[in-house]
Amino acid sequence: MPLTENITLMLGGIQGEGIVSTGDALIRALSRAGYYAFGYRTFSSRIKGGHTHYVIDIHTEKVLSCKDPLDILVAFDGDSIEINLPKLKKGGLLIYDDIIPEQELLQHMDKKNYFILPAPLTAIAKKYGAAVMRNTGILGLLGQLFHIPFHFFAGVVEKNFQRKGEEIIRKNISVLKECYELSLEDQRLSLEYMLMPPKNPMARASMIGNEAIGLGALMAGCRFMAAYPITPSSEIMEYLTKKFPDDNGIMMQTEDEISAITMAIGAAYAGARSMTATSGPGISLMMEGIGLAGMAEIPVVVVDVQRGGPSTGLPTKHEQSDIEFLYHGPHGEVPIIVLAPYTVEECFSQTVWAFHLAEKYQCPVIILSDLHLGLSRQTLDSLDKGNIQIDRGKLMRDEDFNPKEELPFKRFRFTEDGISPRAIPGQPFGMHHVTGIEHLETGRPFEGSQNRKQMMEKRLRKLKDLENSDHIDLFGNGEGHLLILSVGSNYGILKRVIEENQYPATLGMLRMIKPLPVKQLKELCGKYKKILVVEGNATGQLASIIKKEVGYHDKIVNLLKYSGTPFQYKEVQSKIEELIE
Amino acid sequence: MKTAKDYSNHTTPTWCPGCGDFSVLRSLQAALAHLEIEPHHVAVVSGIGCSGRISGYLNVYGFHSIHGRALPAAQAIKLVNPDLTVIASGGDGDGFAIGTSHTIHAIRRNIDITYIVMNNQVYGLTKGHTSPLSQTGFVTKSTPYGSIEAPIRPGLLALAAGATFVAQGFSAFQDQLVDIIIKGIQHKGFSLINVFSPCVTFNKINTYGWFREHLANLDEDKNHDPSDFQKAMNKYIETDGLFTGILYQNHHQDYYSQLPGERKVPIIKQDLDIRHKLDELMEDFI
Repeated sequence: MPLTENITLMLGGIQGEGIVSTGDALIRALSRAGYYAFGYRTFSSRIKGGHTHYVIDIHTEKVLSCKDPLDILVAFDGDSIEINLPKLKKGGLLIYDDIIPEQELLQHMDKKNYFILPAPLTAIAKKYGAAVMRNTGILGLLGQLFHIPFHFFAGVVEKNFQRKGEEIIRKNISVLKECYELSLEDQRLSLEYMLMPPKNPMARASMIGNEAIGLGALMAGCRFMAAYPITPSSEIMEYLTKKFPDDNGIMMQTEDEISAITMAIGAAYAGARSMTATSGPGISLMMEGIGLAGMAEIPVVVVDVQRGGPSTGLPTKHEQSDIEFLYHGPHGEVPIIVLAPYTVEECFSQTVWAFHLAEKYQCPVIILSDLHLGLSRQTLDSLDKGNIQIDRGKLMRDEDFNPKEELPFKRFRFTEDGISPRAIPGQPFGMHHVTGIEHLETGRPFEGSQNRKQMMEKRLRKLKDLENSDHIDLFGNGEGHLLILSVGSNYGILKRVIEENQYPATLGMLRMIKPLPVKQLKELCGKYKKILVVEGNATGQLASIIKKEVGYHDKIVNLLKYSGTPFQYKEVQSKIEELIE
Repeated sequence: MKTAKDYSNHTTPTWCPGCGDFSVLRSLQAALAHLEIEPHHVAVVSGIGCSGRISGYLNVYGFHSIHGRALPAAQAIKLVNPDLTVIASGGDGDGFAIGTSHTIHAIRRNIDITYIVMNNQVYGLTKGHTSPLSQTGFVTKSTPYGSIEAPIRPGLLALAAGATFVAQGFSAFQDQLVDIIIKGIQHKGFSLINVFSPCVTFNKINTYGWFREHLANLDEDKNHDPSDFQKAMNKYIETDGLFTGILYQNHHQDYYSQLPGERKVPIIKQDLDIRHKLDELMEDFI
């Protein structure tokens, strides 16, 4: 029997009972053992209770999506079987905690179609102390099925329980070991799920997009963050508040998102690299502040991890429906940069880039992420250390000032590239005024029409060179007539479907949405016969922007989804097949 | 030796002749001169309205922010550069309507900044609309039949929120106002200074004359003890908030000194390059 190189499994249970930490631990152990994993969580807007599940795709090669149907379903409760059994493929494996009464099971399934493994997870856990350790137990059992050396799991369990003390570690290791060595009644199972040895065995890190943004910010020199907790972006503030004290940074949890953006702006004005992070409802509240940062030319980084809108919408579900809002907002016309990372590695490097761009162009930079990218844990290849270079643009050093120059300092001096030298409070020769009102070069309010025109043009001129640069990353060999354009976490499934089916199509991921890379888009759109824009919203927002800025209305078609979940393999597959016929 | 002139940028304010805000501006300049703070070490952050223009009339780093949001900006400026003297200022609309939430949270956070509210109990720049500090029955364009709502009592609100410094001044009592601002700046924590700054155009009720008649002066009250919270509460209730002087002050630790970390160097003076730490930080994720 051939060994398998790819397994998709689901952990299902009651929210608040450790499904997420168990899934995270499994991904860590697999990543340590040299495999790649990608985990996608489904959860609801409540603390405890309700069904939750975690789908993990395991591969010998880099994987950035979850394939369906499932190979293995792990159920910690009856609901998990009832809800998720239809997702298990025929011939797949159902593992369930044997405290679930069997009658309940029988109602829902035809046993002949599946491998069934009732496992005494709770029983073993209780033997060593507490039922909750069944979460550790399942790791051991899966380790056995996959034939991954025990120590990879033991290492993760030890690390996870480090702070809880020796005794807790010892008990968990006992549970892990007993489940790892559990004898299986069905002998076929002992080889059925044996993973192929990893192609390049080395211990890799695993991370969610939000953590990568936090880490990227730290490395970029961000030392101030203000934020208001909101799903699905809170992990960014949680990461930074933990790490900041080592480097004297400050994370401030504010009274609302308006305060968060204004504090971030205040900190940036005073000379710190600063940021905030939020999701739909918060980004709506931040728009006035973003306008101030644009008008007063203050470099601030804002992360929007999109979730289902409008209003409170689907607060724990995936969507990509803030694209047009951010492309067009705020009121009035100010220069804004919108970046769109599409992998966890990109979340890291684009965050570093965002701080660079913010100070180079002295304007707000928005990092547009999405729930599926922000919260999905994935095994990483190494992060790009090379692009971390802290260049503060036209920020004046004390020695750069000409003491003979008349004060106030011309903070908004007209320059060819529109970017003016920037002074910060505390500098003796840099005193100036900053305002959201139209102003003179010194920052003093002034409504004269000639100056107004010049100032508007100065600000809008700043980003001109970005429009002419290439900001679409291309994948595929360039063959065929189909160009697929997309943003954010859609990358994983699109790339996988195109590669596994060897479709003659090119995938282009937009890493910058504003300014839109118009020059590159024109070249690309001219080359292909059909253009498929794949985006997670109902109205085709990215496609609308491309049509508005570049044209090609006749070539552009959309694949849209707004049901609250990311695109699935078959949805993408059938759309592409329809177009390449 | 510094004088008030060192803090003037010689711009003629847009305020109406006789506006109480002129006195606030002069008092702030005099207080900064008294304390001999270098102009470039001062950041004045203001909101929007007539009062908001104050940041543009000073020879300091001035930041004219957005309506109601002077406090968040000012707090952050102080946190990233504690060497600066940071003053937030704005009107009663900024502080007690659109920005009330920021006022309450700035008070309880106790970051070392001074907040001067230029309170005229009316929206002047919108040409006469009611304010949350307007008296009940106040007639304006937006309340032609008289305001029905009860006014906010800034001092009680501040005390309830855990303020460490609460004072009130009056534009016509400039010496006292200068003294209060000096003490507010010297106070290591958040200081709230509510200044009765009459609007001579749109508030015909709370005029200079009216305030002279109604205001009690705490400096002349030998029994007043600003360190006694209970007495401060009582005093506010007794005078119906119509007094000048320092109502309450305590010396609880300010926010910055309680932050985790060593904090030897302000954020803006740090070396931002920590590339050498990336491998160590990655350990968390393996």
